[in-house]
Amino acid sequence: MKAPYQVGQVPMPSNGERDLSASKTDTVVVEALSKTYQVPEREGGFAAAVRSFFIRRYRDVHAVQQVNFRIGSGEIVGFLGPNGAGKTTTLKMLSGLLYPSGGQTRVLGFTPWERKADFLRAITLVMGQRNRLSWDVPAADSLLLNQAIYRLSDADYQQTLAELDELLELGPILRKPVRNLSLGERMKCELAAGLLHRPQVLFLDEPTIGLDITAQARIRAFLKEYNRRTGATILLTSHYMADVTALCERIIIIHQGQLKYDGGLTDLSRQIAPVKLIGVALRDAAPADLSRYGVMVPNEPSLDGKQLLQVPADEVAAITARLLSDLPVQDLTIEDPPIEAVIEKAFHE
Amino acid sequence: MLRIYQRLWQVNWAEQWQYRANLLMYLLYWLVSPIVYLAVWTTVAKSQSSVNGLTANDFVTYYLTLLVVDTLTTDITIHVLAYKIQDGTLSAELLKPIHPILTSTLINNLAFKMLMLMVMIPVWLGLALLFQPDFGAVTPLSLLLAIPAVVLGMGISFLLGATMTCVAFWTTRVYAINEFYWAIIVLFAGKFVPLSLMPPVVQQLARFLPFQFFDYLPIQIILGRLPPDEILRSFGMGVVWFGLALALFLAVWRSGLKRFSAVGA
Repeated sequence: MKAPYQVGQVPMPSNGERDLSASKTDTVVVEALSKTYQVPEREGGFAAAVRSFFIRRYRDVHAVQQVNFRIGSGEIVGFLGPNGAGKTTTLKMLSGLLYPSGGQTRVLGFTPWERKADFLRAITLVMGQRNRLSWDVPAADSLLLNQAIYRLSDADYQQTLAELDELLELGPILRKPVRNLSLGERMKCELAAGLLHRPQVLFLDEPTIGLDITAQARIRAFLKEYNRRTGATILLTSHYMADVTALCERIIIIHQGQLKYDGGLTDLSRQIAPVKLIGVALRDAAPADLSRYGVMVPNEPSLDGKQLLQVPADEVAAITARLLSDLPVQDLTIEDPPIEAVIEKAFHE
Repeated sequence: MLRIYQRLWQVNWAEQWQYRANLLMYLLYWLVSPIVYLAVWTTVAKSQSSVNGLTANDFVTYYLTLLVVDTLTTDITIHVLAYKIQDGTLSAELLKPIHPILTSTLINNLAFKMLMLMVMIPVWLGLALLFQPDFGAVTPLSLLLAIPAVVLGMGISFLLGATMTCVAFWTTRVYAINEFYWAIIVLFAGKFVPLSLMPPVVQQLARFLPFQFFDYLPIQIILGRLPPDEILRSFGMGVVWFGLALALFLAVWRSGLKRFSAVGA
């Protein structure tokens, strides 16, 4: 299928744009961060299997390459990229589960891979499919255990739990064994378990994966409110663009281990897809050939039979004027291309 | 810290109860070999009045005591930890500001043992009715002396078992290697036969190895078959082995984690 949106060169952030000499409020500092895995490799078939028994061949996989970024205190940043881009690897390095092959990272002034107790008490990593909860007992028991592990006083524990209960509407699901919870209920409990110690930094890997629209919306609303109330710094990955558009003013895109974009969500379309969409409905209803005005974009039924034209952003006024004078226009709209499509395109640059 | 162990106990104890059927299977597996050996050796001893100086009653009391001691000292770490290392779920535990093995795995072991012991009581009483053992040699003092021996046995067994499990950081063949380790335990712990029936070479070696703490030594102390100076010497040895096992575990764990965080399982 022909790509509907023309996307320009994705701009690489230069050091000039962001001051890397560090303000003191930077919570997450990532400098030339790299991670290379050695992956065993062999051809299929019996002979290759025997050969590989004696001689192992390895291939270097550069999961993350020379990535730089900084995140200030209290920011919510969307961390985006296609599968295998290096997002989870980066999050694991930031939370201390992996040590980098190169470069360095500091989170709240700590070196993550040292996994100091004070560091672990100040962060959380919530991964969609992994669990922090004991499978066989109610989540309430796991939360009590976390209270002890994170040394929370009874008063703090009760207060935070009440707050999480209010935001996530936990209610009776805390008393059911985790194995009997639905996916959405379990994700809520995972979040509660991950946030009970009021971490200052949240690394969230696909926090809404597999959830229905309502549950997704609730988790999003919760994260926004949590950030507002606690001032926590949040770095989250998601394949649901709705998560990103609802929560993040800033996004970082990586692809094949390399940083592709770091900046405002709204700037992204201006920088990499400086186009507008003009929707045109003609009075005689018959579709006309509008290709001399711009690129015709396949329409979706939801757009009330309008024909869609993609035009360069700086020519939108001139083209609109021409359309209005040349054709029997009944209705005309001017829109930005959907952010999903823009990000989608940025992945593949 | 005490509160962490207390809460861990609550969670693990509740968890163990979820696996009652599983536990019964374990119990059968656990009981079958001591009971077979118990039957075989008492029959042999009865037919020729004693074997190497051990009477039928000596065998009955040995195996009945073994059932309890072995339950307390056997380590199950490989079954609760190896798969977490291999499939990467260990990550979730590494994010918590506690040592996952010396807290949650340890308590998991203890909860399992406690429940096994409870389930074993009726079986044990049935066997005692059947074989009519004479426990006349057991005194309050011998039981008291056995406590440090069992604790050392549990500790050493746990630490060595955890160390063997850490092999999973390097290879997926961890269960095969554990079978080999199990064979060594069987040989030197007195699990199948009292060590005094083993060849002199094995007995001499066993005296200096930690494995006798898993079964033979606590049993001999409980049954009042060990002279005081020998008990004292063994305790000294046990403390040294405990220290060595702890150091070994911590070193292997540290370098295993280094590998884990390099390959990102």
